[in-house]
Amino acid sequence: MNTKGTDPRAGTGISRRRILQGAGAVGLSGTMMGALLGQTRPAAAAGYDPKRYAGTKLSILMTGDENDHRALGDLLPQLEAETGIKLEITSPALGALIEKTLQNLKADRSNFELVEYLGFLTTQQVGGGYFEQLNAYIDDPNQTPPDWDFKDFIPGALHNVGIYDKKAHTLGQGSDVYGIPGLHSGSVIYFYRKDLFDAAGLKPAKTWDDFKAAAQKLHTGKIAGCSFIGANDFSLAAVDWYTRFITTGGVLMTGDANGKDFRPQVNSPEGIGALQMLIDVLPYAPKNVTQYGFAENVDGFSTGKIAQMIFWSTIAGPVFDKDKSMVADSTGTGPVPAAPGQKPRAIQGGWGVGIPKNVDPAKKAAAWLALTWITNKASNRYAIEKYQIDANRTSAFSDPALLKQFPYLTDSMQAIADADIIPTARIDEFFQMNDTMNVEFNKALIGGQDAKTACANVQASWETILRKAGHLA
Amino acid sequence: MTAAIQLAVGRRETVVRQDRAGTALWFLLGPCLAYLAAFAIYPLLYSLRLSFTDLTAADGTGRWVGLQNYRDLIVDPLFWNAAMNSAIMVFGAVAIQVVLGTALAMFFNLRLHGSAIVRGILVLPMLITPIVVGVMWRALLNPDWGLINWAIGALGFDPPNWLGSIRMAMKTLILVDVWQWTPFVFIIVFARLQALPQDVMEAAQIDGAGAISTFRHITLPLLMPAIAFAAVFRAVDAFRSFDLIYGLSYGGPARSTTTLSFFSFQNGFEFQNYGYAAAVAYMMLVILMVGTTLLLRHVQLRSAHAQ
Repeated sequence: MNTKGTDPRAGTGISRRRILQGAGAVGLSGTMMGALLGQTRPAAAAGYDPKRYAGTKLSILMTGDENDHRALGDLLPQLEAETGIKLEITSPALGALIEKTLQNLKADRSNFELVEYLGFLTTQQVGGGYFEQLNAYIDDPNQTPPDWDFKDFIPGALHNVGIYDKKAHTLGQGSDVYGIPGLHSGSVIYFYRKDLFDAAGLKPAKTWDDFKAAAQKLHTGKIAGCSFIGANDFSLAAVDWYTRFITTGGVLMTGDANGKDFRPQVNSPEGIGALQMLIDVLPYAPKNVTQYGFAENVDGFSTGKIAQMIFWSTIAGPVFDKDKSMVADSTGTGPVPAAPGQKPRAIQGGWGVGIPKNVDPAKKAAAWLALTWITNKASNRYAIEKYQIDANRTSAFSDPALLKQFPYLTDSMQAIADADIIPTARIDEFFQMNDTMNVEFNKALIGGQDAKTACANVQASWETILRKAGHLA
Repeated sequence: MTAAIQLAVGRRETVVRQDRAGTALWFLLGPCLAYLAAFAIYPLLYSLRLSFTDLTAADGTGRWVGLQNYRDLIVDPLFWNAAMNSAIMVFGAVAIQVVLGTALAMFFNLRLHGSAIVRGILVLPMLITPIVVGVMWRALLNPDWGLINWAIGALGFDPPNWLGSIRMAMKTLILVDVWQWTPFVFIIVFARLQALPQDVMEAAQIDGAGAISTFRHITLPLLMPAIAFAAVFRAVDAFRSFDLIYGLSYGGPARSTTTLSFFSFQNGFEFQNYGYAAAVAYMMLVILMVGTTLLLRHVQLRSAHAQ
């Protein structure tokens, strides 16, 4: 597959991006642009016929925890109008989604022609050999819309969910594509209250010391100086601990996931230090922060009770929504804090969409056409504009109209570009290891043990899991 | 000759009747057996086979590992933590439910005015799905905006950290289970109480026995079979309890409310270690079989002794 050099398909016809940029420049509203897009046919190229599979009924299994399914649901009439394909959405919560996905992938015939999977499960599901390789489709001008622009996908997102080297059992290596980033990607950024920081004469935190000092200064009876995921929740380890860990120089795993030397470094000084940082800011966090998961933090921040926190950039939607947030106008964003000399970066999140190998062969090409449609630039732009879903295309971040409307996109883009694929996502045991870490760290936060003990427990537990799975001798 | 023919005909009729009875038997039992085979026996055997494999998500069939999963379980501290939590929950919840349920039954047996309405309201909690009960109580006990904490605060007290403290979470779980299932014990005991022979009670009163003495030496022994049934039934149910924990505490904090059911769920559906999860489920089955048998035998022995 050609991923370098000039794309022979570029520049043919009028691209959606150009229409959108032009529309944005003259100040057209999203609604008007939607209407405009509704009348715009995909750019024609020799052999590519968007109506080729008209009348085909397809199903997609996707997350119901985020807004992806809502955005796609809005676009279904347009998809049907442009391609004649009728797409049905099934969108359970994450736990049920994983179970349903595995059932379908392992069945003789999948009920879903398209499946959205979490990036952390790429190794498990793509690496398990359940998804169709997509290179032939991507390279075929008869199958792929000329303005779809594969190179426009954010490289980090593509490496996290799309590219997998089956021979080497390695995520993000090589050029074999099994999934397309979508319907959103994302990483972690810093959210803070501009009004509070200005009033206190503070600047947004650049280092973790700044973060703690600001938390200390801004903490009052009504507003917490900072917050974080303190509950036994996926993001305690993945967002709050891991960001502090890697931005203070920590390296989570050494060795090779496919060898017998994949060794954790949780009980390293950086590991213990990262957890200690969370313990140290407990006095300036909400009283019940050890029970705060995703929803509690978003609610707390949106209702003006939290001065600063690092969080998934995907929460920009509710935080900047003036109908749902009391701090939409007074929230600022930035890169996550980092220790002096360290680059601000965090975990790579996001989703991918693939075509299961075991779908009806007669529907695979139609599934590909639908997949290109739901991941095209216009669909991505609609999701960002309507639901502030994190983009998965580079072009979305350079769209002047979007940037003007959503300034946080600049930080979001930078976060995704610099994000780190957590090394444990390279093995099937990712969720089990993450759970162990969350339990032990939560115990430390509620005073059940100190940071050193918690990290030692995680280290021991991870080593046991890795040995059992054959990743560590 | 005639007698011989009659004997032969009689034998044939018997055989035909037996055939018909056999056909009818299979016709009537067949659907039940098919149902049992499809939805009870096959899953049981399948999960038993699964417990001898290392089947995980990325693996299509799993390798046969013999008793390895069971050996791993025995040395897994998380399994023993879950087993201990299950035991605490079963004994804690069932003991309180039996005492409260019996006390309520005795109280409602006084037939006070309006007791029928109150009785109806009392049984409502057990009509709610446990997952809903869990989510509902989690909301009620929310430390930031929960109604119960607000009420306790309004009375001037400091509300406990219901679900955020290792020491408190199991107590909260038991409390909610008691709230939901005490009515079950109440109904069973109350039904038995209504059927108790009144002449024994009257004889005791004539003999000068007081209320406490009558309860201790007559009512309670007569109620024992019903109490034992309710306790065994509730113990089995509490031991298997999963949805309440899923909705209320999700096994936390720090695995303080992770029971064997939840542990099995996590291994199977979160970590996709299907073989290991099946082994946990089979260990639960063994524990339940042994526990229930011992409990029932103990109750039978006591009943026999009492009689």
